[in-house]
Amino acid sequence: MATDAPARERRTLPGRPPRGADSRAAADRRFGYLMVAPAVILLLAVTAYPLISNLWDSFHFDNLSYGSLPHKFVGGRNYTTMFSSGEWIAALARTLVFTAVTIVFDVVVGLGLALMMHRKFRGRAFLRASVLIPWAVPTVVSAMLWKTMFDPRAGFVDYFLGAIHPAWSSTTWLNASVWRSWVVIFVADSWKNIPFVAIILLAGLQIIPNEVYEAARIDGASPWQAFRRVTLPMLRPALVVALIFRTLQALLVFDVIYIMTGGGPGTSTETLSFLNYQTFIINTDFGYGGAISMMLVVIALVFSAGYVRFLRPQT
Amino acid sequence: MVWSNTVLWSNKSRMLAVVAAAAVGLAAAGCSSGGSSGKVAASAKQTIVFAESGLGTEGQQTQVAISAFEKANPNIKVNVDVLSPNSTTYLSQLEQSFTAGASTPDVFESDVTYPAKFAQAGWLLSLNQFHPNMSQFFPHEVAAALFNGAPYAVPWFDNPEGLYYRTDLIKTPPTSPAQVVSDAEMAMKTDHSLKEGLAFEAAKYEGAITAFLTVDSAFGGKLDPANLDTPGNAAALAWLHDAIYVSHIAPTAVTGWQEGNVEAEFVAGHAAFSINYPFVESLATAPPVKGNVGYIPFPAGPGGTPGSALGGEMLAINAKTAHAAAAYKLISYLTSAPVETARAIVTGDPPSLPSAYTPALLAKAPYFANVKTLNSYSAPRPVTPNYLTVSADLQNLFSSVYASASTSAAAQALKSGAAAIAKAASATPGS
Repeated sequence: MATDAPARERRTLPGRPPRGADSRAAADRRFGYLMVAPAVILLLAVTAYPLISNLWDSFHFDNLSYGSLPHKFVGGRNYTTMFSSGEWIAALARTLVFTAVTIVFDVVVGLGLALMMHRKFRGRAFLRASVLIPWAVPTVVSAMLWKTMFDPRAGFVDYFLGAIHPAWSSTTWLNASVWRSWVVIFVADSWKNIPFVAIILLAGLQIIPNEVYEAARIDGASPWQAFRRVTLPMLRPALVVALIFRTLQALLVFDVIYIMTGGGPGTSTETLSFLNYQTFIINTDFGYGGAISMMLVVIALVFSAGYVRFLRPQT
Repeated sequence: MVWSNTVLWSNKSRMLAVVAAAAVGLAAAGCSSGGSSGKVAASAKQTIVFAESGLGTEGQQTQVAISAFEKANPNIKVNVDVLSPNSTTYLSQLEQSFTAGASTPDVFESDVTYPAKFAQAGWLLSLNQFHPNMSQFFPHEVAAALFNGAPYAVPWFDNPEGLYYRTDLIKTPPTSPAQVVSDAEMAMKTDHSLKEGLAFEAAKYEGAITAFLTVDSAFGGKLDPANLDTPGNAAALAWLHDAIYVSHIAPTAVTGWQEGNVEAEFVAGHAAFSINYPFVESLATAPPVKGNVGYIPFPAGPGGTPGSALGGEMLAINAKTAHAAAAYKLISYLTSAPVETARAIVTGDPPSLPSAYTPALLAKAPYFANVKTLNSYSAPRPVTPNYLTVSADLQNLFSSVYASASTSAAAQALKSGAAAIAKAASATPGS
């Protein structure tokens, strides 16, 4: 195909393509559109429609608990309320810090794991398969598992910490201390998501040709130089994918927090998605909740665009 | 596009709500012989829908009572719609039906905290037209059934939260909060199989509010969102806080405990005292707690009254129903003394009528005598249409206090949080 295309191009350049070929191409295109139509319609129904509806709601008063009050246009009031809300600002700060810490940790550890799995050793296939297990466990289940493991009465964490007797062992991890609660959330979240990063980066490593490393070695590059000058630049596309996915997941973190702390102690582990849940489900406020959702979409888009721009392969 | 699916869950929920509402509407069309046009007389042949969350023996006993009702009223057929046993999901299911303007369920089970919110939203039928005799029920639960002075629900059963203690370790029940602490300390010294002196719900959830309410009046406190920062409330919250950080009769683990965890600790013989609901009495069936269970209102301190928190369920009617008369007839039947007594024997749900605590009931389950005593003290949670928002704020406040070792944590939290909670309670949406 690759050698065929330029030849055909050359043949057709001087004049118009034969009529038959043109209509056949158009028919092919139409058939193609027809084939993807169901998927596109479904995607629009579950993404574009809710997005537009949510945007519409965010400019309205719409609270289910006050069904007797009119669903009226309120302009940007939901947004001004949100921007001046200390609750929202605090949740935004927590979400951004959590996102920054988890993605740096996940990418660094995931990259290490990927480099390890890329090497040839006995049991490599088994290790590759088993690394995926945490990622395959639903977050609700893994959060419950970790909550149990950190339980001061039944969990193994305090059991082992108690055996070596550090001063801070036998403590209550969840809801009795802000930083300990975050540690547990962080552990549960990373345990589940590092394998995902590792597998994406491993796929990226596998498409780097060996010849490039050989050339680097011949030029006298040390292993560190080969990693910095060859591996990292060529891993960039995979890194962008891993970073975008992990950032979006971290920005939207909800289930692990809902299960483990319920946002506590106080509101100290409440993130933007948790606040969104509180607004939609508990307060049944679709207008204000819509504004919080839309800001989450904007933040996610800004991050994604930033990654694509700054990690674009240099030409 | 992970974000687009996840961020917009809210919209999907809403779409689901519409679909669910449509389904409910279709079901209503199929089930309700009278539809929503016009009112159907109680004597007409009709089908009504009753929504409840009861599973297991509770669900079975409801079905038994409904079968007896249908036999006594052959013109009325009752379809039971069993919704989620999870209270948050149950509430969402009801809200979806009401928001969609569905005429079913015609009659439904309601937590004691729902009537004010639902009445404010215009979803409940005022029961004034039926002239219910509310004075026959425990007055504290009736208070939670009223909105702007009118009855919107009828108490069905009444779950008072109180103080459990081990009668083998504590020979005479404590008569003050200070004595609870000293008795707990003494019990922990004498019985080394105890893991704590006191177990209570301090996790960030609704139970933290009822646990607080159980001790609140003993210190002269009152859970009034408009006036939260009072010496009584501060003393009650400080007492619970100090149980964790000063006297250490409660472990820090209570910050993650809900009523199930508290029950497990007490039933396993790990706790000398615990704050919990009546159902625990029937579960204390193994040593060392078997036969050694006392259940009392939380003992009053100076200037206070014995404490208990009101829990329980009511029955209410959908404002859009076409079968109000038949629905009220069902409510009257389910809340009659013999039916409540039969339910208490089978399910352990404490009757909402003092007259249902018959000698026959007390002979079969003697602990109902204690429950009846507690019911005369039980304090309702704030009756406000914004209760769920107030509840979330209170949970945050209590949770932050229980996570702080500072002895002034309770006073400081009440001082800084009271204004926001007062605002949440009185907020008028859309203004």
